[in-house]
Amino acid sequence: MMGTSPLARIGLVVALVIALLWTVLPLYWVLKFAFETSGEIALFPPPLFPPHPQPGAFYSIFGFPYKLASGNTLLPSGQSHQILLGLRNSLIVAVIVTAITLIVVVPLAYVFARLEFRHRNKLLTAVLLAVSSPPVSTLIPFYALYVQLDLVNTLTGLIIVTLTITIPFVTWMLIGFFRNLPPVERLARIDGFSRVYTFARIMVPLGRGGIAVAAGIAFLFSWNEYVYAQVLVTGSEAVTLPAAVSGFLFQDPEPSQLAASMWLSVLPPFLLCFFLQKHIGEMNLVDPVR
Amino acid sequence: MTEISNLQFALMVALPVLVFLILVVIYPLVYALWMSTQNIQFFGGYQTDFVGLDNYRDVLSDKDFWHSTWISVRFTAESVVLTLVVATALAVLLNRNMRGRGLIRSILILPWAMSPYGTGIVFFYLVRGQTGIGTAVAAAFGSSDTFNLLNREFVIEILAIGNAWNMAPLVAFFLLANMTTIPTRLYDLAAIDQMSALEQFRHVTLPPLRFTLFVFTCITTVMSLKMFDYVFTFTRGGPGDASAVLTYQLYKISFQDLNLGYGAAMSFFLLLLILGSTGLLYLVWGRRETA
Repeated sequence: MMGTSPLARIGLVVALVIALLWTVLPLYWVLKFAFETSGEIALFPPPLFPPHPQPGAFYSIFGFPYKLASGNTLLPSGQSHQILLGLRNSLIVAVIVTAITLIVVVPLAYVFARLEFRHRNKLLTAVLLAVSSPPVSTLIPFYALYVQLDLVNTLTGLIIVTLTITIPFVTWMLIGFFRNLPPVERLARIDGFSRVYTFARIMVPLGRGGIAVAAGIAFLFSWNEYVYAQVLVTGSEAVTLPAAVSGFLFQDPEPSQLAASMWLSVLPPFLLCFFLQKHIGEMNLVDPVR
Repeated sequence: MTEISNLQFALMVALPVLVFLILVVIYPLVYALWMSTQNIQFFGGYQTDFVGLDNYRDVLSDKDFWHSTWISVRFTAESVVLTLVVATALAVLLNRNMRGRGLIRSILILPWAMSPYGTGIVFFYLVRGQTGIGTAVAAAFGSSDTFNLLNREFVIEILAIGNAWNMAPLVAFFLLANMTTIPTRLYDLAAIDQMSALEQFRHVTLPPLRFTLFVFTCITTVMSLKMFDYVFTFTRGGPGDASAVLTYQLYKISFQDLNLGYGAAMSFFLLLLILGSTGLLYLVWGRRETA
């Protein structure tokens, strides 16, 4: 593209270093707490690297004691039960939410993207409206409803409410994706395939890249959901990882265990990102608004 | 197999979802509408009294409400500008040919995978006096003071920076996807015209991105206005009420003071603010972009 004079190259490297620092520094600053003791975290000035890195906090949050090199023992955390439950529940909720979201959203997005029918734009507006309604204001009605239906502190309740976040957003994302697929329907119709067959056997396989990204996004949103979980399941058997992690923040501040449990909560999304970063550009949030 | 029409096929797949969406969009709205006209009491037995529009009138004369609205608007405006600037910079950078591009992309997208509540926790420890980076940097220059970046004057700006950190990668990747469709021929022509890097950015790179930028301005505006968990884990509205955004104020009124009717009335002002600001963005900007 542009000339690669030495000056331009230095500029590129500097820009790259700034971008990487901007991205990694905040993450590093807190995630390193997991390898420090509370004493080391409280040191002045705050150390740039853990002085004596050790995995004790991870033992604690899983409910095991850990013997430090100094001879002291780190006790198992009182919240290890919640963390383990949260890990399990978050996985269950995220997998089920992802599955239901895909089943519902793929046909829906396809219909919005490829077929002309009356009231289409009105329906699309309803989807976009659902994306913009703030969780804090829908929380109270949901809570009131859930009290009556006995869904507070249940995974079912949390799954339903999480779907209200994933479905509108993923639909929106997939509409743009389906619109840009090659127009093969007419050919399929000439060959005598029915609409349902065309959709299930031609469009879905054709769009599997986008559908995989949609799955990733649904998983990510569900895994990271905190507002509803904080009110609906905190402290119960149905606690999810975000709600369990925040226990280290408020009830009993324990930065090293907080950081260790944050490692648990960020690793799956980070791994997912290695996949998503390649394909997310194929999605299109801009198209449906046109 | 019998043939079905477009509308029938559409209804077949869309109807169940629409019923669900109506339930989850309309039901809370109607319920909140009902609540907003009631005075709801928990103490001394659950009791509701119809009070008409009193709650709405009270919101409008509530100093805390106007304070929070102002904080929300400031936080949102700063977040949106920062997010778009950072995202554009990241996209321009990622659009360059360089070694290890895949790895760099994988790293630069990471903040987006972080949940808002996690971002709040991360930035809380990053900027707070004792464990904060301000103190570490100052110490490296020989100072022995603690630097608390979380103070009344700058808390909104700090919040906006963290928010931009969280949102920018997504925007950057969509801008990048858009940039790769710009024909390289245009850059060759720009080189012939001896454009400077800045001119080239303004006249070649930017124009095709304008509609995308508009859409993401709307998206980040909505996301910032409805942001709650990030502020909740980061500043809890503090210090004092210096960062009590509207969503935080709503949470406090509804879940701490249990003033549900009043909270419901206020939530409609938030919804109005969200829809109003996207509408305004469309009127002053989006309408002129033909995409």
